[in-house]
Amino acid sequence: MAPWNLQSKMARSRLLRYGFSVACVAIAMGLALVFRHYRFRELAPPFNLAIAVATWYGGVGPSVLALVLSAACFDYFFSPPIYSFAISSEDLPSFILFTAWALLIASFAGARHRIEDDLSDARDRLQVEVEQRKQQEDEIRKLNQKLANRAAELESSNKELESFAYSVSHDLRAPLRHVVGFSELLQKQAASLLDDKSQRYIKTILDSAQKLGKLIDDLLSFSRIGRAETKKSLVNLEQLVKDVVSEIEQETRGREIAWKIDALPVCYGDRSMLMLVFANLVSNAVKFTRRRTRPEIEIGCADGDNDDLEVFVRDNGAGFDMQYANKLFGVFQRLHRADEFEGTGIGLATVQRIIHRHGGKVRAEGAVDQGATFYFSVPKAQHSEVRAANTL
Amino acid sequence: MNTLGRILIVEDDPRDVELTLTALEEYNLANAVVVTRDGQEALDYLYRRGQFHTRSDGNPAVMLLDLKLPKVDGLEVLKQVRSDEHLKMIPVVVLTSSHEEKDMITSYKLGVNAYVVKPVDFHEFVNAVKELGVFWAVINEPPPGSVRNR
Repeated sequence: MAPWNLQSKMARSRLLRYGFSVACVAIAMGLALVFRHYRFRELAPPFNLAIAVATWYGGVGPSVLALVLSAACFDYFFSPPIYSFAISSEDLPSFILFTAWALLIASFAGARHRIEDDLSDARDRLQVEVEQRKQQEDEIRKLNQKLANRAAELESSNKELESFAYSVSHDLRAPLRHVVGFSELLQKQAASLLDDKSQRYIKTILDSAQKLGKLIDDLLSFSRIGRAETKKSLVNLEQLVKDVVSEIEQETRGREIAWKIDALPVCYGDRSMLMLVFANLVSNAVKFTRRRTRPEIEIGCADGDNDDLEVFVRDNGAGFDMQYANKLFGVFQRLHRADEFEGTGIGLATVQRIIHRHGGKVRAEGAVDQGATFYFSVPKAQHSEVRAANTL
Repeated sequence: MNTLGRILIVEDDPRDVELTLTALEEYNLANAVVVTRDGQEALDYLYRRGQFHTRSDGNPAVMLLDLKLPKVDGLEVLKQVRSDEHLKMIPVVVLTSSHEEKDMITSYKLGVNAYVVKPVDFHEFVNAVKELGVFWAVINEPPPGSVRNR
């Protein structure tokens, strides 16, 4: 029962309680008159009883009312001189005793009522608290259930994605291999019969199929990055960059590229994923400086915000218009026509996904024909323990 | 080149079979090849039952095994081969379309001898098949009990 309900009930019954008190005194008065009629000696007990009953039922207020009324009635009707409120000196002690006794009863009753009220208040509060607790528990249980459902959904969609990627990697590559294979065979078989135009058609089929193959491979590795667990450790970025550059240099023989590799620190991350980041960024730099007579590629590092360090790859190549900067990192987004610079539009999306998985950020600066700089942030090595603890 | 080990190809796609045979032909390896079109057929060949019950005795010098096969898939075939006392020594090369790490790990755990992803590029594909054929059918000394063509 809510406390306000109790209070209103008490307010409603106030009239009743005082009325009861008056009625008790009236009955006591009647009894006393009867006692006097039969010449009983003690006339006070009915009043004492009335006060006790009024106190028991009505509490402090009705008790005091009963006391005053009883005292007045007794004094007026029964204590000599009768029919006057004056008190003879010989009755004074017993009158005072009567009053004191009645007051004592009233104060006991008051105390009892207060304690009772306190108790019921406490009980109500407790009940409210229990109900709230129960509601909260229900809520937590509901949320938990929701979370479990969500996790199950996520797991099943992850599984679906995995089997999708699996079947893509199996089933999409097979027909592609056949397109390439049989076109090559046709080219070989009918080389003498085909005119230049037909030869060109076959070459186009081959080029397109190759490109599709590259696209499928890139997409698969992109989706694999999303699913694979990162295996983080301390990574020597400088060594990593040197490895990547020396690998790429094998493909760029004959081109005079001015490499500038600054000292790079050790960072905390997934080595093979970070290698992929550099491979993408550096091969992009190589690709987009193709038309420069003196290509320059710089790889360096600056202190980033907080616990991160910011690594950059800068080139003096074709660059890009800054108003399209937000499109750079999207999947399949390309800012150059395919006949200018080839590509699948997945490289920078892969870079972004890897860096995001390391809790870092990517950004790019550039201008058309002024070169481009790609920045990414990775956690510093000295905060690796904190990071590791946070990501657990 | 006087003796040739027999090559057992397990491949369901006829185009892949044709491309593989074309590649092997360039090294005159094609006549030492037996082609089976699913896992069940491959096992029938190995156990000399069904359509192969009349074939002469002996195991192939190498089995080129695709993974995605009708009826019994490649990994299942590999598992059976490795658990059979008479077949477990056959060199098995998985030749598959997929780069899936899961497949690779499972294959190696089951004791595959090599794992080759079919290249999309035709020249690379031809080279890969050729080299596989030459290595396993010619260069490699097959385990005792293998069929040899003369």
